[in-house]
Amino acid sequence: MGFWTRTILDNAGPLLQGLYVTLSISLIAFVVAAIVGLSICMIRSYFPRLRPLFAVYIAFCRNTPIFIQLLWVAYAWYELLGWPKDVFTAAWVALALQSSGYLAETFRAGIASVPIGHIEAAHALGIARLTTWRRIVIPQMLLTIAPSLMNQFIVIIKCSTLVSVIAVPDLMFQALRLTAIWGDPVPIMSFVAVVFIAVILALSTLSKHLSDRLHARLQS
Amino acid sequence: MYGLAMFWEYRVILWHGLLINILVFLLSSGLGLLVGLLACTARLSHRRPLRASAAAYIEIIRSAPELVLLFWIHSVVPVLLSECLGTRLTFSPILSATLALGLVSSGYFAETFRAGIQAVPVGHVEAAHALGMSHPTILRRIVLPQAIRLMLPELMSQNIGLLKTTTLVSVITVPDIMYQVDLIVQQEMQPLPLYTGTAVAFFILILTLTSLVGRVSSHLRDA
Repeated sequence: MGFWTRTILDNAGPLLQGLYVTLSISLIAFVVAAIVGLSICMIRSYFPRLRPLFAVYIAFCRNTPIFIQLLWVAYAWYELLGWPKDVFTAAWVALALQSSGYLAETFRAGIASVPIGHIEAAHALGIARLTTWRRIVIPQMLLTIAPSLMNQFIVIIKCSTLVSVIAVPDLMFQALRLTAIWGDPVPIMSFVAVVFIAVILALSTLSKHLSDRLHARLQS
Repeated sequence: MYGLAMFWEYRVILWHGLLINILVFLLSSGLGLLVGLLACTARLSHRRPLRASAAAYIEIIRSAPELVLLFWIHSVVPVLLSECLGTRLTFSPILSATLALGLVSSGYFAETFRAGIQAVPVGHVEAAHALGMSHPTILRRIVLPQAIRLMLPELMSQNIGLLKTTTLVSVITVPDIMYQVDLIVQQEMQPLPLYTGTAVAFFILILTLTSLVGRVSSHLRDA
């Protein structure tokens, strides 16, 4: 046991750096996915003609394995568009691509849950369209979809472990590298597994707690 | 169009790769269903320690990223087992992949089973009790027929998710379709058509399955 703790403490620097990379990629991917998903949702509701196009985009994002999307963005996009130039960008773009499809659907469900009367009342009061979105639709929608948003963030963290395959120095990558250096997978791999499980378990417990409170608030 | 020709040229190994994906999917789905059923039974048990440990297992296994579990089972578990048993053990890549994906999905399956069983109205079970039915009969005639219908749509979409996840197993050198595609990319130096083609192929495959499941689910709901 002493040997184990020493192995981990000796390598705490790279492991912490890895955790930082994992969390920052997940956060960037989540924010980008939320913005893209919400934009798709808003554009779709104003331009019905574009609906089939977005339907294909959403179906593609949701029905392709994330691993393939990651390699596709990292290698095929680069050849086609000359972008993304580094693996870090490719990593968050791929994660955001997948989640934007899921989030667009989440947002759509959230918007559908806002009573149409509220929007009509805002129109009747002469409130501008964007203001109606900002002050009336989005706040109510966020309240109902908060648990799904948290859940999607957790999915992104889980999928972010894959970016080690394209050599992004995230926590998983550091674990594989250190295992290769020390030749003993047991302490480092187990530690990294425990860290991931702890982070995700904490987030899902928080999300459950939040959604219970929101539920209570919505019903009162 | 050389890209498409490449798929034709390498059709045999691609097909073998896809078969490996399907094999891993079937094995891990079977394992997941079995372990999930056991975990769900324990989760609904009247004995408190059993219930608590099942709940802990489900929560932990659902929090584990698939890739982490894949590497952990492939590299750590054999070492620990070897130390315990005093022999030298290794897991074949397919065995590790089956264990990892099967265990991860068992957590999700267990929760689906539980939701299905708990969605059966208590009144039905009480009525069956009042009529003097025995426990196994209640389970067989009242609870399961209703529960299975309720949980089938969710189970099917979780299985599609599992099929999508099987593309990961190439990282522990299971010769699945992604492994073969990577080899061809290294051979031909043509990532653009190969990865795009694979993405589109999976898109069509999974979309077909999803819409099939959607149709079956709405059929189940109406019936």
